[in-house]
Amino acid sequence: MSQENGATDLVQLEAVPALAGLYRRALLTTAARRVARKGAPSDLPAVRHRVGGVRVELPAITCFQHLLGSAARDQLPSAYLHTVAFPVAMSVLARPDFPLPLLGMVHLSNEVRQERQVGVSETLDVVAWSEALRPHPAGTQVDLMTEIAVDGERVWSGRSVYLARGIRAVGAPERSPVERPAFVPPVPTGLWRLDADLGRRYAAVSGDWNPLHLSGPSARLLGMKGAIAHGMYLAARMVDEAVPAPSGALSWRVDFATPVPLPGRVALSFASPTGEVAAAGSRVDVVGWDAKRRRPHFTGWVRAE
Amino acid sequence: MANQAGAQNAAQSPRTAVVIGGNRIPFARAGGAYAYSSNRDMLIAALDGLVARFGLQGERIGEVAAGAVLKHSRDFNLTREAVLGSALSPETPAYDLQQACATGLETVVGLSNKIRLGQIESGIAGGVDSASDAPIAVSEGLRRVLLDLSRAKTTQQKIRILSTLRPKDLSPNAPGTGEPRTGLSMGEHQAITTAAWQITREAQDELAYRSHQNLAAAYDRGFFADLLTPYRGLVRDANLRADTSPEKLATLKPVFGKGLDSPATMTAGNSTPLTDGAAVVLLGSEDYARANNLPMLANVVDAEAAAVDFVQGDEGLLMAPVHALPRLLKRNGLTFADFDFFEIHEAFAGTVLSSLAAWEDEEYCRRVLGLDGALGSIDRSKLNVNGSSLAAGHPFAATGGRIVASLAKTLSEQGGRGLISVCAAGGQGVVAILEARN
Repeated sequence: MSQENGATDLVQLEAVPALAGLYRRALLTTAARRVARKGAPSDLPAVRHRVGGVRVELPAITCFQHLLGSAARDQLPSAYLHTVAFPVAMSVLARPDFPLPLLGMVHLSNEVRQERQVGVSETLDVVAWSEALRPHPAGTQVDLMTEIAVDGERVWSGRSVYLARGIRAVGAPERSPVERPAFVPPVPTGLWRLDADLGRRYAAVSGDWNPLHLSGPSARLLGMKGAIAHGMYLAARMVDEAVPAPSGALSWRVDFATPVPLPGRVALSFASPTGEVAAAGSRVDVVGWDAKRRRPHFTGWVRAE
Repeated sequence: MANQAGAQNAAQSPRTAVVIGGNRIPFARAGGAYAYSSNRDMLIAALDGLVARFGLQGERIGEVAAGAVLKHSRDFNLTREAVLGSALSPETPAYDLQQACATGLETVVGLSNKIRLGQIESGIAGGVDSASDAPIAVSEGLRRVLLDLSRAKTTQQKIRILSTLRPKDLSPNAPGTGEPRTGLSMGEHQAITTAAWQITREAQDELAYRSHQNLAAAYDRGFFADLLTPYRGLVRDANLRADTSPEKLATLKPVFGKGLDSPATMTAGNSTPLTDGAAVVLLGSEDYARANNLPMLANVVDAEAAAVDFVQGDEGLLMAPVHALPRLLKRNGLTFADFDFFEIHEAFAGTVLSSLAAWEDEEYCRRVLGLDGALGSIDRSKLNVNGSSLAAGHPFAATGGRIVASLAKTLSEQGGRGLISVCAAGGQGVVAILEARN
């Protein structure tokens, strides 16, 4: 997961930017773009944003772990590392020369490869960039890449795919929309009961105050029917419940299908695929869905080594 | 003669239960480094440290037994939930046990017995307690109203039930340290015993001082390197004051026994503070240890529990181990002279010193314990050689695991036989014998 374009600028940030500020700035950019009705440019900025010497706060990490229902252990949850790096990635999206509007972008998937467990007291260096701007049947998608290193050694890397709905930045899609096979819910193994205030509580522990997640009115401003759960909350909980006590490398992927409304209930299936070779590490497949409407919210897998 | 009887007892036991090792997190003062960590968090941290140390990832252990004294009602299955959150196999069974401050030691006794009987090959015993994350319950009045409300069918019924609610019902109930039957706190109970045995302030401060000195020395020589996993930024017990002195301890104001006729002697320095922490011990059969290439630090030989009638004032609340010990020694044909190390839990310095005084008192031993004479004296140089609860702190249910692991390691290094004595609320106590393997 590296991009060697030759002429890539490295932008050193003083500190991890505050997401609230980025969202405010993005809101203004969106408004300005609407007013100017400018056609979106078709090139991603050839930059990497980097923040060094990032430390996590113990009380904050404890709150994050407890909100997931996981144990307050001295290792950082894999999804928390994403949370630490996320504002740096967002600062790339919030650049005036970034071709897509940050607000209202839909989070499609995450794939993470973690080389080893990271302790709460380790000092992190975060670098983020965007790549692979490409058409999607519903608009334009882009990959947000983040890497976290400790003492110059990469410990965590993630690819988040985002969709800017209705925006044609790079021409029409090559293929017509693929017909999704009908969703057949698996045998449920669990149930998440998500409270109405979950979005605000997760925002408080993750710093991600995206209006989509905070309240009905703020979500409706961005075209949603109501508040929806943070994708990373669902992913973090999925990873933690699939592998509660990882000790080595960890890989996981989540694909988001439909948003999870708040308050809401998510039916869950955690299953180890049969026939999996044990030596390759244990893998857990996860599906989260709406039991009433019989439609998937997300699918994913977690593999511990 | 003594050893012969001990050997005979061992011969009746089909198998030997051994202490393989232990792990705990450093103990924190209440409201300190673990202020926001729950019992489950700390128990998992202790378990995962043990798993890492002995390579138990994904292993199905015969059984895990642990407990907490201050426990939320949601933690009814605390130990099993901790196992599920740990790196152990989810197929590891677990149960909760609660015997106040004797919880940790009693889990060691129970699982050792299962190992000796051949019911399990391996076990993890331990305990955890958080004074910081203590449960707070709604008042009895509010609880009654809420339960009645849940059963009410009509709006009228609901209004009638709600109208019985009084403002005072809205204040919550926090756990107290009082004995339910007497209303006295543990410290006040001990103050009565301390005064009855005429234990001086100086003697108590001296014991506290030695506890800090011994614990600090143990840390300095790396004794805890393989007994402890740092947690939440703590690398050693937060209560430890390596630089304290009898003079400093003498400046503290008494906190217990101020209403008694004799001068109050018990201070915050010679009493244990409220503490957060967790400790676990890995136990196994000899076959299990050998098959898995694991060390065998010491054998768990025998144990005895006792309880005293402290309600009518016959005996001190924390004096039950004084009664348990002669029974345990007699059954094993041993005397104090047969022991090289004594681990007497320092709930209060006064508890340890009252126990020692009682065993040395001929009249008391004849009249109360039914012995022929005084049980004997304990060589102070063999007492709590690596410090105890006054220095380390005392997260109630975690103390047993701390003591067993430390004593087993001491025995593996220096040989000999060790005695453990732990007092508990409710007038109970548990004593146990550990023995070096060589």
